[in-house]
Amino acid sequence: MTAPEGGWRQGERAADGEAERGAPPELQALRSAIADLDRRLVELLAERVRLARRVGGAKRAAGLPTLDPAREAAVVRRASALAREHGLEPEAVRGIFWHLIGLSRRAQTEGP
Amino acid sequence: MIIVTRPGISDAELDHIRERVEALGMRTHVSRGEQRTIVGCIGEEERLQEVALLRLPGVESVLPVTKPFKLVAREFAVDRTIVRAGDGAAALFGGRELAVIAGPCSVEGAEMLRASAWAVRRAGAGLLRGGAFKPRTSPYAFQGLGKAALELLAEIRAETGLPVVTEVMDTRQVELVAEYADVLQVGARNMQNFALLSEVGRVQRPVLLKRGLAATVKELLMAAEYIMVQGNRDVILCERGIRTYETATRNTLDVAAIPVLKAETHLPVIVDPSHAGGRAELVAPLAFAAVAAGADGLIVEVHPDPERALSDGDQSLAPEGFAELMRRLAPFAEAAGRTLRAPALEAA
Repeated sequence: MTAPEGGWRQGERAADGEAERGAPPELQALRSAIADLDRRLVELLAERVRLARRVGGAKRAAGLPTLDPAREAAVVRRASALAREHGLEPEAVRGIFWHLIGLSRRAQTEGP
Repeated sequence: MIIVTRPGISDAELDHIRERVEALGMRTHVSRGEQRTIVGCIGEEERLQEVALLRLPGVESVLPVTKPFKLVAREFAVDRTIVRAGDGAAALFGGRELAVIAGPCSVEGAEMLRASAWAVRRAGAGLLRGGAFKPRTSPYAFQGLGKAALELLAEIRAETGLPVVTEVMDTRQVELVAEYADVLQVGARNMQNFALLSEVGRVQRPVLLKRGLAATVKELLMAAEYIMVQGNRDVILCERGIRTYETATRNTLDVAAIPVLKAETHLPVIVDPSHAGGRAELVAPLAFAAVAAGADGLIVEVHPDPERALSDGDQSLAPEGFAELMRRLAPFAEAAGRTLRAPALEAA
C-alpha cells in the first residue's frame, strides 16, 4: 500500500523543470503554466510596490500621514469581496492582502 | 474582545463589521459555525469603544476576553478545532476517534523503523513517531540520524500509509523537516524558543507543541499563541508530565491540565504517558488516566527491542506491550465517549 504523494513532497523542489522526468506530460504542462503565472504575479507585485512608493511621495507632499488603517481595512475588504466573486476562499486572500499591505507600508516610507 | 453575530449573518454584513474594526488598526480573526460566527478582535481594544459595535447590522453581542491569549482561547472559536494530519487527512486530532501516535524514540535504522511502524499500525495507531534530531541532555549521547532519518520516515510512510511526526529543534531545520514530516513536534525544552515557535507558525504543517518541563498551563497557551499568530491554526497541545519534587517518577503527569486546557482552549490536547512516567510499566496506567480525563489522543514510545534502544529504552513498550495497551484502553475510551481505531488485522 502506498500513500499518495502530495505535490509538496517531491516535485515542487524541481520547480525549474529539471527533475521533471518522472512526471506525466499533463502535469508538466500545468506546472509550466503555473511557473509563467507566478512570474506574472511577481511582476504585478513589483508594480504594486512601485505604485506604493509613489503613494508615499504623494502623501508626504500633501502633508498626509503614511499610516492609514481605515484605508487598509477598506482595501482588504474589497479584496475579500472580489475573492468571493471569483470563488476563492476569502480568508486566504485576506491573509495575502495583509502581507501586501505590509509590503506597501514599507514601500511608502521609502518613497520617491 | 469577541463579537458574536446573529445567526445567518450575510457575507456583506460580516465584511462590514471586520472593516470597521480593522479601520482602527486592529486585526480580526473569524470563526464560522453553523449558526453563529465569532469575530475575534485583537489589538488595542480600548479603541473599539469608538465604534458602536452593538449598532452594526448582524452583531448580537460583544464579550471581553481578558486572557493574555486570544487566538488560542476557547471563546475565539465556535467549534473545537480539529487538526487534520497526513495526506487526505489520514489522521484527525480532536474528533471522536482518539488520535494515537506511536513509534520509537529515535529512528535508528530502516529495519527497526519498519518493524515498529507495522507493529503500531496493526495495533491501531494512526500516526508514526520517530526522532531524527534528538535533544539529548548529554552531547556524548546519540544525537539522531538527521536527514537520513527523515528519508526513512518518508519511505516507511509510503509503505504503511502512516503519517509521520518528528521533532524539529532549530529554526534552520524547519524547512527541511517540513518537507518530510506530516506533523512537526516542538519539544518540551523548546516550548519557549520563540523564534522556533514563529518559524513553525509560518509553515503549513500541523504542530505538536509539548508543554515545557516546568511550564505553567498559561505559558503553554501563550507558546501556542505564538504559533497561531503566524497564521498556523493547526496546533496540538501535549501534556508530558511536569517537574516536581517527586523523584519516584521521571516527571509528574498533570492530569488536571487536561480538563483545564480543554476549558481554556479550542485546540486538541494529547498526552505523552511515556515521558511522563519514565518507565514502561507506568505507560498503561497513565494512558488510561489521560483518556479518562478527556485527552484527545496519546503519543507512546514503542521499540521492537527496548533493551537495545539508543534512547529512552526504559520507557519504551515492546510491540506486544503496545498492542495490549491498545486493547485495555478500549473501555476507558468508551467511558470517555471516544472511539479507538480498530487494529488492522492484515499485514498490508
